[in-house]
Amino acid sequence: MSKDTPRRSSVPVELTGLEAGYGGHGLLPAVDLEIESGQMWALIGRNGSGKTTLLRTILGLLPSVGGLVIRDKSSCVSYIPQRTDYDLAVPARVIDIVREGLDHHRSFLSPFFVGRHAADVQRALEETGTKELAHRRFRELSEGQRQRVLIAKAIVCDPGLIVLDEPTSAMDPLAERSMFELLDRLRRSRDLAVLVASHSMSMLPQYSTHAVLVDADAQQVVAGPIHEVLESEAFRRIYGFRAAAET
Amino acid sequence: MNTEDTSLRVFFESFELFADAAWSGTLLGLALGAMGVYIVLRRLVFLAAALGQASSLGVASAFWLERRLGLSPEHFPPTLGAAIAAAIAVMPAAFERKRAGAHREGLLGLIYLVGAAGTLALGTRIVQDLHDIDSLLLGSAVAVLPEQFRLVFVVVTLLVLLHALAWRGFAAVSFDRAGARVRGLPVRSLELVLLLSIALGVSVSTRVIGALPSFALSVLPALAATLVCANVPRALVLAGLLGAVSGFVGYVLAFWARLPVGAAQTLVAAGLAGGAWLFTASDWRRRSR
Repeated sequence: MSKDTPRRSSVPVELTGLEAGYGGHGLLPAVDLEIESGQMWALIGRNGSGKTTLLRTILGLLPSVGGLVIRDKSSCVSYIPQRTDYDLAVPARVIDIVREGLDHHRSFLSPFFVGRHAADVQRALEETGTKELAHRRFRELSEGQRQRVLIAKAIVCDPGLIVLDEPTSAMDPLAERSMFELLDRLRRSRDLAVLVASHSMSMLPQYSTHAVLVDADAQQVVAGPIHEVLESEAFRRIYGFRAAAET
Repeated sequence: MNTEDTSLRVFFESFELFADAAWSGTLLGLALGAMGVYIVLRRLVFLAAALGQASSLGVASAFWLERRLGLSPEHFPPTLGAAIAAAIAVMPAAFERKRAGAHREGLLGLIYLVGAAGTLALGTRIVQDLHDIDSLLLGSAVAVLPEQFRLVFVVVTLLVLLHALAWRGFAAVSFDRAGARVRGLPVRSLELVLLLSIALGVSVSTRVIGALPSFALSVLPALAATLVCANVPRALVLAGLLGAVSGFVGYVLAFWARLPVGAAQTLVAAGLAGGAWLFTASDWRRRSR
C-alpha cells in the first residue's frame, strides 16, 4: 500500500479550537494541538473525564461542538477501540482480522483489492510478531496476542496516525510493557503518530513523547510535551503525585 | 423395493410437477442462508421473525385491498405488499443502532405482534383467501406458480450478486462499525442496503414459501455455519449451501413423509444446526483433553 499512496504530511492530525461534547454542549474546553509523525501522545484523565469523547471526536465518530479536526488526506487513520467493542462470536482468523484493515472508502467493491495487498498483510504480521498466529482463530488468543493482531490490522494500510482506546486494560504488567514497546518500535520505524488513551501511568511516562490531560469536572485540558504535562499542577491535583518522564 | 423408495421414485419421475416449488425453496434457502450470517452474528434473530410477520401482513393487506377496492393482483401484487411491509419493518434496525438493546427489541416485538395480529385479523375479512393466509403463515404451499418462480430466480440472483460483490463492506459495518467509519466506508448506505436486501429476501420468501420456513432458513443454516467455519466468507458460503440443502431436502422430505413443506424445511435446517452444534461441542471436548 505504501507504494500506492503519496508521501504523507508530517502532521497527520491538527486540532484547532476543537470542542468535544454531546448535544451541542461542550464537555471540555477547546483543544489546540498538532500531532506530528513520530510522536506518541498519551490521552490521560480519570474515568469519565472526557477521554473517549475527545478521542471519538478526533476520529469523526462524534460531531464536534466547535472547532476543527484537520486530517491529512494523503494517509489513513486507524482506530483500535476498547477490547469490549470486539465480538468474539464473529468467526475470524488472525489473517482475516488484519485483512479487514486494508479496506478504505469504496475499496470493498474491488474483489482483487485484498489480494493485491498480500505483501502489506505479511509485513504487518511480521512487524507485530503475529506471523506464526496468522491461521489461528482470533478468539483463541490471549489478550496480549489479540492486541498485537489489532495493531497489525491498524498498520496494514500504512497509516499516518493510529488511535488506541485503553489497549492494555486487561493485560498483566509484562504484556502491557510488551505492548508499549511494540508501539514505540512502530512509531520509530514507520515514523508513525500514535494517540493512546490509557490509565497506565507506569508505562505512559516512559513511552510517550507528549500528553493531553483532560478533566471535564475542572474544565481543564493540558497538552504538550510529556514532561510538561507530568509536572503540571493539574496532573498533581488529579493523580496526587508528580511523575517523571524518561528522557 | 419398499414404499419409501417408490415414493421418492415417483417424486423424481414426476419432478417437473414439483420443480418450481422445490427449486424456489432451494434458491431462497441459498440467499436467506447466506444473509442469515449477518442476522445471527448481529443478534438480529428477532428481526428475521418480525420481517416474516410484517411480510405476511403485507400480503394479507394486498389481498384485502384487492377485495375491498376491486383491484386486480396486477395492480397491487401481494409480493409488492410484502416487500413494502418488510422495508418498513426493517427501519428500526437501521436507525436504532445507537439504542440497540431493550428499546430496539421492544420495537421489533411491536412489529412482530402487529404483523401477526394484523394478518390474522385481515384473514377474517378475506375468507376466499384464507387458504393463502394459512399457507403464508405455516409454509404449507406445495405448488409455486411459474411467475413466482421467475420472481424468486431474479431476486435471488440479484441478492447473491450484491452480497458477493459487497460482502467485505457489509461485514465491516456489521462487526467493526467504528473502524469502518474511521476508514471512510459509506457506513449508513451499506447498513441500509444490507438490511433492505434482507427485507427483500424475507418478503419474497414469505410470499412464496411462507413465514415459518423463511424464518428458519434465515437463522438455522447461518447458526450451523458460524459454529463450524473459521471466518465470515466461509460461513457465508456454507450457510448458503446449507440453506439450499434445507430448502430442497425439506421439500423432498415433505413429499416422502407427507409433511407440510414449511415444517419439513424447518426440521431439516434444525437438524443441520443441531449437527453443527454437536460437531463443535465434540471438537471442543477433544481439543480440551
